[in-house]
Amino acid sequence: MANKRQLFAIAALFAALAFVPLFVTDSYIRHLFIIAFVYAVIASNWNLSLGHCGVFNFGHLTFFGIGVYTAAIASKTFGINPWIAMLLGGGTAALSALLLAAPVARLKGIYVVLVTFAFSQLALQLVLSQSQITGGAEGMVRLPFLQLGSYSFLKDFKFGYYYVGLLLLALSCLFLAFLSNSSFGKSLKAVRDAEDYAAARGISVARQRILALTLSAIFTGIAGGFYAIYLRVASPEVFGFGTLSLALSMVLIGGVNTVFGPVLAALVLTFATEAMAGLQGFEDARFIVIAVAMILVLRLAPEGLVDLLGKLRLPVRPART
Amino acid sequence: MDALLATLVSGLVLGSLYALMSSGLSLVWTTLGVFNFSHGALMMVGAFVAWTVSEILGLGPVTGILSGTLAAGLIGIIIERLLVRPFYSNRNMLLITAMTTLAAMVILERGAQMIWGARLKQLPRLIPGEVQILGTTISAHEALLIVLAPLILVALWRFTVMTNRGRSLRAVGQNQDSAALLGIDVPVAFALAFGISAALAGLTGALLGSIRFITPTMGSEPLTKAMIVVIFGGLGNLGATAGAAYLIGFIEAFLIFGLGLYWTPFVLFLLMILVLLFRPNGVFGGK
Repeated sequence: MANKRQLFAIAALFAALAFVPLFVTDSYIRHLFIIAFVYAVIASNWNLSLGHCGVFNFGHLTFFGIGVYTAAIASKTFGINPWIAMLLGGGTAALSALLLAAPVARLKGIYVVLVTFAFSQLALQLVLSQSQITGGAEGMVRLPFLQLGSYSFLKDFKFGYYYVGLLLLALSCLFLAFLSNSSFGKSLKAVRDAEDYAAARGISVARQRILALTLSAIFTGIAGGFYAIYLRVASPEVFGFGTLSLALSMVLIGGVNTVFGPVLAALVLTFATEAMAGLQGFEDARFIVIAVAMILVLRLAPEGLVDLLGKLRLPVRPART
Repeated sequence: MDALLATLVSGLVLGSLYALMSSGLSLVWTTLGVFNFSHGALMMVGAFVAWTVSEILGLGPVTGILSGTLAAGLIGIIIERLLVRPFYSNRNMLLITAMTTLAAMVILERGAQMIWGARLKQLPRLIPGEVQILGTTISAHEALLIVLAPLILVALWRFTVMTNRGRSLRAVGQNQDSAALLGIDVPVAFALAFGISAALAGLTGALLGSIRFITPTMGSEPLTKAMIVVIFGGLGNLGATAGAAYLIGFIEAFLIFGLGLYWTPFVLFLLMILVLLFRPNGVFGGK
């Protein structure tokens, strides 16, 4: 996958990010970084199913939302330690992905889009209707916060949360880089680019799709758990179109078929949208701006899209022996 | 027995609504091979325009509903021109247009939020009073929906089967190149299909605006249901889609009666997964 120079640039980026809190003491800027890390995890993991495996998955945010509500319910209702509650979010998200993947793996084309999209809508309906458990439309508030020994993460202007978020992103990137370099990752691309040939070479197309969806949900769910514990709020908005279109635009604009393109796009776009949210009367308009940007990328920069849709052939590398 | 009849009637109302929504989706799908995610938002636009013309400009509900239908149709044609047409020749048109129409939905919903605000609105009923059907009392407006839906569906069916324009839509849907060779203007056919479909959505929204509240996101629930309908019925055949719409309407009404409002969407989804496991092309789906 990535050549040496690229790897070096990424290592440098993470090193730079690790030093940011030493220079940036403003709690709001740190907050934006944390939110950007969460979006980066969402977008880059979404890319695993959408970009690498070519599954037209429109329900990725559902995995995130399930992580959010798992952590919220586990920590608040059942009093489970928030650290563990966060990780539980990854588990339930992966389970739900497995559940969704079973029918999706056999479907083709538009039906994949329809089923994954309807899945997210119905998860939202479930959250809204079970208000005695989930808090309904108001959501859940005042969730427990993170503690390490006697150190409360509420202290020091989000210093601790910043590093938890960065660690989460780094682990997720390592996980994705490892996957995309492994023979499994290559088989995903084979399934995407030449389904029949892949099947003829003994790759089970349905199984690889199920695995890709399930694996893409793990870190997304944990990120959801972290998001809930960090903001101390779980709200049904996470299933909404605002989050969906924002994350989708990160995947598209970031350039797909890479692990790190969406990560970079997430960092840039989070700051861009937050900057717009600060402008008077732009609370709704910023989503319009993002939607228009997404359309423009699709129209004017089809190169990026070609990656996503699997037209681009990777440079042929000799097979490892 | 009364409860059973009441459930049947409520299923009929839901089925009519879903039939109007999903037939538009199906028309665009068969003609262009595009799944229009902004269909629900177009419905919402129809409702808001109808409300503005009828209540703010005071021109009455009939003018309102007509303007809502027209406005949605026009926006549909614009969406086709700007967000769908540039991608016709693309190999991955299916996925790209799913994304662009999703973006159109965001633009329309947020735009409506900015123009009309979040305050709940409702249209007056087109026909006041109540009607007795099968021993159940429903509002005359809902009865109108029950009567109007099959009429519109039959008109749509006759249009696609009996008229040259309608036949040209089906020809384009089946084979673009041959249709073009026979002198059919393919882009016009595409714009027409999108416009009719969007106008149908706008009409549905304007009619629904007297039964439910008009909000920027009012279209997303009917769109989800229309998706379930097309998954059951299979996209691509008006008759199968309409049949599935009424079937889902009845199933939903009986589920609400038996299980309550909360679990109904969940059970519908499970049902949908089962259908897809055994019949990936829908219950009535052929190819």
